[in-house]
Amino acid sequence: MNLEEKLKILADSAKYDASCSSSGSTRKSKNGIGNTAYAGICHSFASDGRCISLLKILLTNCCIFDCKYCLNRKSNTIQRAIFTPEEIAKITINFYKRNYIEGLFLSSGILKNPDYTMNLLIKTIELLRHKYRFGGYIHAKAIPGASETSLKKLGSLVDRLSANIELPTESSLKLLAPNKEISKVDNIMQYIKKNHQKNFVPAGQSTQMIIGATKETDKDIIGKSESLYHHYQLKRVFYSAYIPVNQDKLLPRLKIPPLKRENRLYQADWLLRYYGFTTQDLLDDKNPNFNLLLDPKADYAVRHINEFPKEINTCSYKDLLKIPGIGIKSAKRIASSRKLFTLQFKDLKNMGVVLKRAKYFITCNHKYFINPEYFEKKFIESNLILEDKEKLTQTKKQLSFFE
Amino acid sequence: MKQTNSIYLYQNTFSSLLSLIQLLIEAKIKPINIKNTNYTPSLFDTIITLEINEKDGINFWISKTTKEIIKTTYYIFLSNNPEKELIIYYFLLNSLKYQNKIFYLRRLNCVTKALKISHQVTNEAHKFKGFTRFKELKNHILYAEIAPENDILILLSHHFKNRLKNEYWIIKDTNRQIISIYDKNKFYIVDNNILKIDHLATTMENEKIEKLWKSFYKTIGIKERQNDRCRMNFMPKKYWKNMLEMSEEIEKNNK
Ligand code: SF4
Repeated sequence: MNLEEKLKILADSAKYDASCSSSGSTRKSKNGIGNTAYAGICHSFASDGRCISLLKILLTNCCIFDCKYCLNRKSNTIQRAIFTPEEIAKITINFYKRNYIEGLFLSSGILKNPDYTMNLLIKTIELLRHKYRFGGYIHAKAIPGASETSLKKLGSLVDRLSANIELPTESSLKLLAPNKEISKVDNIMQYIKKNHQKNFVPAGQSTQMIIGATKETDKDIIGKSESLYHHYQLKRVFYSAYIPVNQDKLLPRLKIPPLKRENRLYQADWLLRYYGFTTQDLLDDKNPNFNLLLDPKADYAVRHINEFPKEINTCSYKDLLKIPGIGIKSAKRIASSRKLFTLQFKDLKNMGVVLKRAKYFITCNHKYFINPEYFEKKFIESNLILEDKEKLTQTKKQLSFFE
Repeated sequence: MKQTNSIYLYQNTFSSLLSLIQLLIEAKIKPINIKNTNYTPSLFDTIITLEINEKDGINFWISKTTKEIIKTTYYIFLSNNPEKELIIYYFLLNSLKYQNKIFYLRRLNCVTKALKISHQVTNEAHKFKGFTRFKELKNHILYAEIAPENDILILLSHHFKNRLKNEYWIIKDTNRQIISIYDKNKFYIVDNNILKIDHLATTMENEKIEKLWKSFYKTIGIKERQNDRCRMNFMPKKYWKNMLEMSEEIEKNNK
């Protein structure tokens, strides 16, 4: 098998991992090649619109486990391949030199046993860091069941180390990944959190959950993320809409992956991390799943309409963040500017506020943007939904125009 | 009768522009036009050249404003906006009064414009940190061509100076016909006609690597999630020309 064939197989097996970011690290290049950019850099965008930042590959797609949802599971008859450490190092350096990538994302199926696989990962990354003096970004996946010694070693070589929990509840994991134990993933997260520092996993850890392969609600999923952020100080939870790669009676028969749902989860995740929302704010037992017609923030505002409208000039920064159409940047701009002068509606536009969305939920200097009689839940809700639809058809039109 | 149009000239450098603006402000002159020396005057133009001391200009602004203000101004200077000199003039004029508070005075037209342009330049420079593609020439020099809208070559060069410290590299801005040459120590930005690069032949090895990258690119996209709209949003077509992995896509589109 030549190198190109191998790369195809081992990139194809790795592509379902949603993690793409190359941020959070400030490695400087010393005598070798490469450094990292704290904000991360996207080098290209794939045909599915996802950012390509790292050379995302598996060391091998051989695996002793048989997770139902996974292309690489033991019981599948697919072509198997293994990279040598030297091959991975060579591709990484050559791609990096030509500025195709920001670094390497290295995961693996389990060969023989967890520590055997970990040692192969370690050997590869040692080669890159020491022989090739590679200073670019490296994200490695820790193999559940790995010993502390190997976690320690791998963690000291990479920028990000992570383990995927894959499914939000233990019962689902038992059902679809009978060889995996949730406690083993927990142990890894715990270990990384405990030892996280400048020279150990400087960019922190992340994880991934598959969406729609099992019957959990959005509330289960977002609740799980919330507790992961809380317990392990994860940098990111990634959500990956389930794509049927295997036939199995335990798996749902989906024609198209639940992409809209995945998008809603990302939006909500953002609200948890940066906007001060909690799972309870966003979902409850009566509404355990996100509204597919309206984004979670707008949905929250409509459901809590009695908390609005908020006065832009006096409400707290925390409240500014709750207003649809106002992002972190514009909230900060508002908070700083209103100390200098009283804000009017026309000022908001210059600050990046999406007035089309925000106008229903704010007053500016005690004036409501439209006729105050229209401050009414049903009216606002239907307007927001309509606007989203229009925006969608408009961008579609624009793009077909450019093509 | 048409009135004459006074135009103040500067030497096409950032410090020269800063000095000129200092002189104008001190003389309480509100210019209607500031242009660099490449400008071809028309019949009704009156060209005015003031005696400029570039060093004084820089020092003046360093002592009277802040790092953030000078940085923003510099980014505007790199933009391709035809009005940039006047925008800088008004931005600096107001900066004297408001200092860093100016960043919150988006109510002033000149501030909104200034921040928008400087943001566009930063943004474009950031995109090219990712989208620039080098190839390895026979003599092991890494060579890339870019076609940015703004004059970001210098910003990009700083980035690659740190990243590809121990490589020789050349980046050519084909829109401006300028190149940046890095000799493992410093980079130099020069006119394209000063240096003739006609040995662009690459190695066999380079071709192999390029093939690997193209097949990686094709493999990594998930068919079931194909989304041209999303890709186009993040990576508009204007960037594709110099991106190796998009060559097939361009061919497909041209058919
Ligand atoms: S352990 Fe990983 S690679 Fe192996 S079958 Fe499970 S998900 Fe797939």
